[in-house]
Amino acid sequence: MTDDPVRLKHRQLEKIAMAALRMARVLVECGARVRVVHQGATLVARGLGVEPVGLRTGYASQEITVRSGANTITRMMTIGPHGVNHRLDHAMRALAARVSKGGMTVDEVEAEMDRLAKTTPRHPLWLVALAVGMACAAFGRLLGIDWLAFGPVFFGGVLGQALRMFLHRRGVNSYVVAAAIAFVAAGTAGAGARLVGSTTLNLAMMAAILLLVPGVPATNAQTDIMDGYPSMGSARAVSVLMVMIFATCGVWLAETLLGVH
Amino acid sequence: MPPLTFDELHLLHQAFFGAIAAAGFGVLFNVGLRSLAWCAAAGALALGVRTLGQDLQWSLEAASFVAALAASICANVLRRPLGPRGSAVALTGCIPMVPGAFFGQAILGALAVTTPHPENAAVILTAIEYLLRVLFTLAAIGAGLAIPAHLLKHRDF
Repeated sequence: MTDDPVRLKHRQLEKIAMAALRMARVLVECGARVRVVHQGATLVARGLGVEPVGLRTGYASQEITVRSGANTITRMMTIGPHGVNHRLDHAMRALAARVSKGGMTVDEVEAEMDRLAKTTPRHPLWLVALAVGMACAAFGRLLGIDWLAFGPVFFGGVLGQALRMFLHRRGVNSYVVAAAIAFVAAGTAGAGARLVGSTTLNLAMMAAILLLVPGVPATNAQTDIMDGYPSMGSARAVSVLMVMIFATCGVWLAETLLGVH
Repeated sequence: MPPLTFDELHLLHQAFFGAIAAAGFGVLFNVGLRSLAWCAAAGALALGVRTLGQDLQWSLEAASFVAALAASICANVLRRPLGPRGSAVALTGCIPMVPGAFFGQAILGALAVTTPHPENAAVILTAIEYLLRVLFTLAAIGAGLAIPAHLLKHRDF
């Protein structure tokens, strides 16, 4: 019934709610704090002419209620794997700010989000692997590895990152990925460091798995709790703990195989 | 100009590798190429301040807190060139201070505690010490990053 004004209004409200939720979902998946996520969704909803009544962001899903006059609608959307992507995060924030100034339709906002998701640049995979290897080796020097272990830690980090990208593309569980990376990276660094006669074998093995250190979720967990979102903060803290437990399992296995104590 | 002392060399060493580690993590986090230099600078600043603090006999937790505070204040002061990227730059600069190695050693230590015959009480104490250091250092970094951002509220999004 196209002449039913309430149903039409609800359909329009639904489209706006889903656009605001999509903005929120992408921001969470890019590693934004909950306060930023809610700001982004609110800017989109207001820019499209409705008032957000309530927003809830959990670790795996989020909900929004929007209102226009007497009509309200509540919708929910699941959230994909949490990661960190600064360039997409800031492109989305810029879009939210643009939408908030008015003058864009829901379809235009959705099309712009599609375009940003497809065209926002990413560093080439080989560069990411090399950069992560170098970061692990630098981390190792900060921890006190000797120069002989620098190369093995670098190669362990490069291999670990390459494995991470390969397994993520295959959709393997992220905690299992953490254990596999830790085993390969620590094993490579440990075996290499032993081969070249390093005296800092244990530190080298630890340094090689530091690509797994969930620094962004760890600090976001605390910030979310400070900002008044303890459930998301707690969920993030638990995910940090889980990553480190699985990573330690991988290191333990590598140490056992190499006979390192 | 007087020759560099050992401690100055150590400070430079820590700041340099802090910058490399922060820039490396910046690439992993898909930070833009122009912002990578800022991430490296934040990493050098954070590790430099932390090393200075530890040279002054501060605990790791206190030194990490002041280092994160310094990185966050600088990111807020440099709001004009950095824009809303400031908080991300400060955070990336502090990543090399996250005590991931302690975390691993704490869990490995806890595994040693649960063996049928743990060697001695020192194993338990070491595991607990590492775990507490991880918790307090992470909390110190998070608080150091968050406090200036909350005090100097900016309207840009």
